[in-house]
Amino acid sequence: MIRNGVEIRDNFAEAFPMVGTRLIVTADTPDWALTAGRVTTGFATSVIGCGCEAGIERVLGPEETPDGRPGVSLLIFAMDFKQLKTVVPLRLGQCILTCPTTACYAGVETGKRVPLAKTIRYFADGHQISKKIGDKRFWRLPVMEGEFVCDEDTGSVEGVGGGNILILARTRGAALRAAEAAAAAMGKVEGVILPFPGGVVRSGSKVGSKYKGLFASTNDAYCPTLRGTVPSQLTAETGSVMEIVIDGISFDAVAEATRVGILAVCDIGAEGGVVAIDAGNYGGNLGPFHFKLREIMGNEGGAA
Amino acid sequence: MSGVSLKPRAAFEARVDLSGITPAVTCPLTLLELEGLPVPYGGKSVKLAELFFIEGAPEGVLLIEIGDVRLDGVGAGMQEGELIVDGVVGAWAGRGMGGGVLRISGDAGDFLGAELSGGRIELAGNAGAHAGGATSGSRRGMSGGVLKIGGSAGARAAERQRGGLIVIGGDAGEGLATDMIAGTASVGGAVGPLMGRGMKRGTIFTRTVPALPAGFIDTGEQELVALQLMARRVPELKAVIGESVRARRLVGDTLLGGQGEVLVPA
Repeated sequence: MIRNGVEIRDNFAEAFPMVGTRLIVTADTPDWALTAGRVTTGFATSVIGCGCEAGIERVLGPEETPDGRPGVSLLIFAMDFKQLKTVVPLRLGQCILTCPTTACYAGVETGKRVPLAKTIRYFADGHQISKKIGDKRFWRLPVMEGEFVCDEDTGSVEGVGGGNILILARTRGAALRAAEAAAAAMGKVEGVILPFPGGVVRSGSKVGSKYKGLFASTNDAYCPTLRGTVPSQLTAETGSVMEIVIDGISFDAVAEATRVGILAVCDIGAEGGVVAIDAGNYGGNLGPFHFKLREIMGNEGGAA
Repeated sequence: MSGVSLKPRAAFEARVDLSGITPAVTCPLTLLELEGLPVPYGGKSVKLAELFFIEGAPEGVLLIEIGDVRLDGVGAGMQEGELIVDGVVGAWAGRGMGGGVLRISGDAGDFLGAELSGGRIELAGNAGAHAGGATSGSRRGMSGGVLKIGGSAGARAAERQRGGLIVIGGDAGEGLATDMIAGTASVGGAVGPLMGRGMKRGTIFTRTVPALPAGFIDTGEQELVALQLMARRVPELKAVIGESVRARRLVGDTLLGGQGEVLVPA
């Protein structure tokens, strides 16, 4: 399948079930809401080393938030619910509670409950105020700046983690430009995050390593400097590969982000130095979710 | 019968205890069964049909077509469905209610919504004393649900309230929120004397700073994010909060270690 000179390889991304939640963080200004969002989702690129994968899902206008202030919605994913229950209150306490003017609200109503203020309310040392009207409880914690308002807990979803596309290009610059375009387009899809820096990974990994105790190591089949020395997936003209990893609240959201990303890369096309689009998998036996690139593109893929 | 309409045959000569007559009880019954329902009437028990003409009404609804100050316990213990009263009711209306909707177009007597734990009461007129409070000898008043009073409330509204929301459109009488444990109340009009004595926690919204006991401390005007959150999440509070982001905050009753608050949106 070739679109605008870019080969879409007959391959699939292999993804895993993850447990995720959404937080709505508001602040007095859009800048401070973004700051809170960036800090809270910092050091959260991969569960391999960060315990969770997180990102800013989208920016919210004042009319979309519970308290009428500008905000951001954040998605946080972990491998299991126990881990999610650990990382969310930690990030809430260190990154949102501390950030000037913020408030934090539940972004998912359904599913198992992830504690928010339920855990960090004790920071207020007995001065915390609870308010429950209807079924919703929120807390007000007196802080030096004024008051930190936070919902008691938030819901959770069974999400999908590890959807991905690989962008093979002639040069590093071309790969980066294509990846930037793809990340920008994919960032507009609701229900997904791209947890890596700027949405892009330059060091995609394979499972396992020659070293004992290392779970992941460099994806040598896609390293241009190793072409020929290892069983390589790279054609002679490929000089650089960038990966975009997608975590989402549903299979459909990740599939849509994949589609949008591939289209954006193909728009840059062979003229922009893009060679092919591929995807990372482990043979198909590890992850239950398979995102088949050509199936997702369907009729949009161009000539076979 | 899916819905039931009750119309008094004549003015009542004694007090009628309607606390067992809720939509969940009446709606599954046939007309014949309904007519024989026993109702405490003064010192004796009479059949429902002796007091009311019984007719049909929309599904799930119990309608009392003409209210009367001698009708006590209307909607008491109700858990579901809708009970509508066209007119006034006596004491104990909605007492211990856990769900459903009770609408009263007139005034209500004392102990309206006492120990309410869920559901919604909407009163168009004025309420007597102890609205949303605790019944005699009980330690806790209303614990959940919404009690909306269009007019004014009598003395000791929200007494020992420990949850839920009371919205008083008009004035509140003497001793509002005495010994309040938790929950939220709002008063659109004037607040009577001796408010908030023994208040432990909970929030009272008022339009002007009321006369408060010595145990209340004025923390000054505060910028509170929670104001607009409440105005948006709780439509009933929109009227008293408006667009305010600031409120005067008075905390008490500190003489009893209380951390309740009176918020006066600026």
